[in-house]
Amino acid sequence: MSFSKIKRRDFLKIMGWGGVGATLVGCDLPTTVTLEEGKEKVVSYLMPEEYVIPGVGVWYASTCQQCPSGCGIHGRVREGRVLKLEGNPASSVNKGRLCQMGQASLQAHYNPDRIAKPKIRRGSSLVDATWEEAYGLIAEKTANISGSKFAWMTGSVSGHQSVLLQAYLESIGSGNHFVHETINNAVWAKVCQDMLGDSNPRIRLDKAQSMLSFGADFLGTWGSPLHFSTEYAKFRTSPRGTLIQVEPNMTLTGANADLWVASRPGSEGALALGIANQLVSKQGLSMSGLPNSVQSLIRSYTLDETVTATGVDADRIADIAATLKRRSPSVVLAGASAQGHEHGYQCVAAAMVLNVILGNIGKTIESNGEFAYASMAPVSGNTHSLVSFSQAAADKRFDVVFFSGVNPVYTAPKSLGLKESLANIPFKVVFSHFNDETTAMADVVLPLASTEEDWGTHVAPYQAGVGEISIQQPLMEPLSTETRGFGDIVLTLLKKRKETAYEGFADYYAYLRNAFSTIPAEHKNGASDEQFWTDVLAAGLIDVGVKKTSLKVKGVEFDMPKEMGNSSAMILAPSARLGFWDGRHANLPWLQEAPDQISKVVWDSWAELHPSTAKKIGVKEGDMVKIASASGEINVKVYIYKGVHPDVIAVPLGQGHDAGFSRYAKDRGVNSLSILDPKVDKMTGELALYSTNVKVTKAAKTDDVLVRFGGSETQVGRKLVSTIPADVYERTEGGDHVA
Amino acid sequence: MSVLQHLPLGRFIEAASRGSRQTKQTVQVSFIVMLLMAAMALFSAKVNAEVPNAVPPEGSYSGIHVEQPIEFPHDTHADINEINCMYCHTYARRSKVAGIPPTSKCMGCHSVIATDKPRIQKLTEYWENKQPPLWNKVHDVPDFVHFTHEKHIKRFVIDNEDLEVENVSEVCAFCHGEVKKMTVADKVKPLTMGFCQRCHQANDGPSDCWHCHK
Ligand code: SF4
Repeated sequence: MSFSKIKRRDFLKIMGWGGVGATLVGCDLPTTVTLEEGKEKVVSYLMPEEYVIPGVGVWYASTCQQCPSGCGIHGRVREGRVLKLEGNPASSVNKGRLCQMGQASLQAHYNPDRIAKPKIRRGSSLVDATWEEAYGLIAEKTANISGSKFAWMTGSVSGHQSVLLQAYLESIGSGNHFVHETINNAVWAKVCQDMLGDSNPRIRLDKAQSMLSFGADFLGTWGSPLHFSTEYAKFRTSPRGTLIQVEPNMTLTGANADLWVASRPGSEGALALGIANQLVSKQGLSMSGLPNSVQSLIRSYTLDETVTATGVDADRIADIAATLKRRSPSVVLAGASAQGHEHGYQCVAAAMVLNVILGNIGKTIESNGEFAYASMAPVSGNTHSLVSFSQAAADKRFDVVFFSGVNPVYTAPKSLGLKESLANIPFKVVFSHFNDETTAMADVVLPLASTEEDWGTHVAPYQAGVGEISIQQPLMEPLSTETRGFGDIVLTLLKKRKETAYEGFADYYAYLRNAFSTIPAEHKNGASDEQFWTDVLAAGLIDVGVKKTSLKVKGVEFDMPKEMGNSSAMILAPSARLGFWDGRHANLPWLQEAPDQISKVVWDSWAELHPSTAKKIGVKEGDMVKIASASGEINVKVYIYKGVHPDVIAVPLGQGHDAGFSRYAKDRGVNSLSILDPKVDKMTGELALYSTNVKVTKAAKTDDVLVRFGGSETQVGRKLVSTIPADVYERTEGGDHVA
Repeated sequence: MSVLQHLPLGRFIEAASRGSRQTKQTVQVSFIVMLLMAAMALFSAKVNAEVPNAVPPEGSYSGIHVEQPIEFPHDTHADINEINCMYCHTYARRSKVAGIPPTSKCMGCHSVIATDKPRIQKLTEYWENKQPPLWNKVHDVPDFVHFTHEKHIKRFVIDNEDLEVENVSEVCAFCHGEVKKMTVADKVKPLTMGFCQRCHQANDGPSDCWHCHK
């Protein structure tokens, strides 16, 4: 019975009841939302497991795949559906925490825009096909291909997926594996490799008393965000560590700092050298371990010189040096905004020099050991691969290319010309969950099972002294019968290439199961094979240990271009957020809806501008600006904010997708990567993300408003946080306690 | 933080209705029949007793008759053969949902009992095809109502010392009517908020909004 069917007479009767129980009258109306009898199905179990009770969740361990950090998760499963994810407390990576991207993984799984069927290009459009057709076409195109003509571009990859992927490349005789991640620590890794002999040293935030971070957003996007959040909590407790953050625009980490210093992008290296100079000349530390050329470089960065090169106050520079010395041991880190320059390597190297002078190596920067099984070890992505792939595609070097876990057509700046050069590749196969900018260019699209439906093993790229293999297991049956797990697809492709070694495995599960049977007995704790497997699945991981290594400080020579700090052009900062990440999560409504950590903007892009710059340009919050580089232009609404260097306009990554990428991301904001100049760090070849000069002008206003959650930057007199000037405090109440 | 309600066994989730990688042990028919006998002995029913320490909710409703894939006779089971409601709806005291009994439970008896009846043959066919019947839901509350059987059974049955457990059907009847006189169940109680509220008032149930609307 629905509301509309209540007759007038009934209605009057109901009204007539009046007085008695009047408050409950409404509650007796059959509600319009009550489901009618017989409209839904109830399905019983055929034969339930003894531990399954309908209505009561069972938790299974698996691994998050929303970013390369590889956190362990627990998924709550009820009546065959996964309902909620949490962090796996046993995982050393995240210790039970789960970030918002991890939470939103469910929305990727249940997303209505997931690709449900393989697709094959017929003329200008992609049409549904069967797996046999897709496999057949791939087999045909790769039948006689020479190894050098084949390439595979992936995101960061590890575990048995990496083993199978390498096996496939070998079966074709190709060494062309391009591993691409826009958000990476590639320059840091190279500097660590060169100066410490270990590309992935262990950072002991818990042991440090102070921290100087050049744009390392370790609470957001640097390294392993959840791991470092926990370590940071230790750093902040008894005694409370001091965090100094230097960056062009404030990140989540910067917002937590005791001292936040705005840097003009590219001047980070000069600032580091200036601080080094102070440590040596004023704080009595020695730089004797460094090469002579670096010593004289440090000597040249006198206080005056550093002020000129960086625009940072002399007092502040001296103060930072004094704090680092006083609050020892310290640790100095460098991240995206420090490495994103043509001299990015030097900037990061200068930061690492500070660690050497401060004596942090061996104290707060330790060796992390090496993962014991090389073939499963994590291969971390970079942007160098994107640049070289774009070049290779332009040079028509490939006939067949596979793409998985990447969306290079979105992440590549237009100036690399990747989209155009893809036309030179006759056959492109894209493994994907969703239609996106890259699947649009594909000849074959292979729909992947979601994280919650697939098997896998993962080795987190950053682990604190342990060698855990984290298990990914299905939390429920696939939603579509026509999607396939990544491992299953590669295994089938290997079989189609008549690789006999794989013929015995019915599916990827069988392959993994066998792999775990062959793990050396020392890891099995005396358990039977079956028990061991069950234990590993229940725990979600197994620690197979690491080979001990040690750090060896090596003198690395580098120079520092002088004029970097003081050019007056504006610079575009395509800053990254734990949210959309490199844009891959813009299709998840929870993340669109979650206000940005800094600007509180929802469902949109924005450009952060310093109030003084905004005044110069003549814009106020919500106005449109045109940001033009040599490589293109974008129009975006302005958010005025003091946490950005006056020479910088910051447009966070993630939006500006083509219409194909889901109903939630379409027609929303801009992609700041698209207008970057094709500059690279000269030492590593990494894209110089923070070095594109732009011209910012006021653009015609649109009706669109900038939608922000919350609103004001002031306390509007509400005394949420009471403050008192230091001299008044000293005079009136706390004089005795001030040092 | 998650509270692990169950230690994850870690295996591939093996709910048989979703297919399984594991081989199923065969149902130990004789064992289950024995269990059933024991259960029947334990739960031999007394008819038409009042529920002590409780005021039954008032109100009635005349729902449409919902056809089911198998016309399951509640009367044969609960009335004539005096099987306790909680024998089949075993989840009611453990979970928010009472649960339709798993097909394996039906087959526990009906591999040997009444195998010549057409309804049982239909059931056997479902069982052999490894497909549970798709029952049509009769009693439903809106998604924003958090109703839990477990709490109600605890209040009226488990914590109700004066109630003989044989008479649990009288408690079920509060919201489901005299199901043991029906074949397939019909909705005969309104299950509206007013219906719930009056019962909560009469029986000192909680009246905070969030108890039901979480
Ligand atoms: S940090 Fe990465 S791996 Fe960890 S929970 Fe977040 S998205 Fe998942």
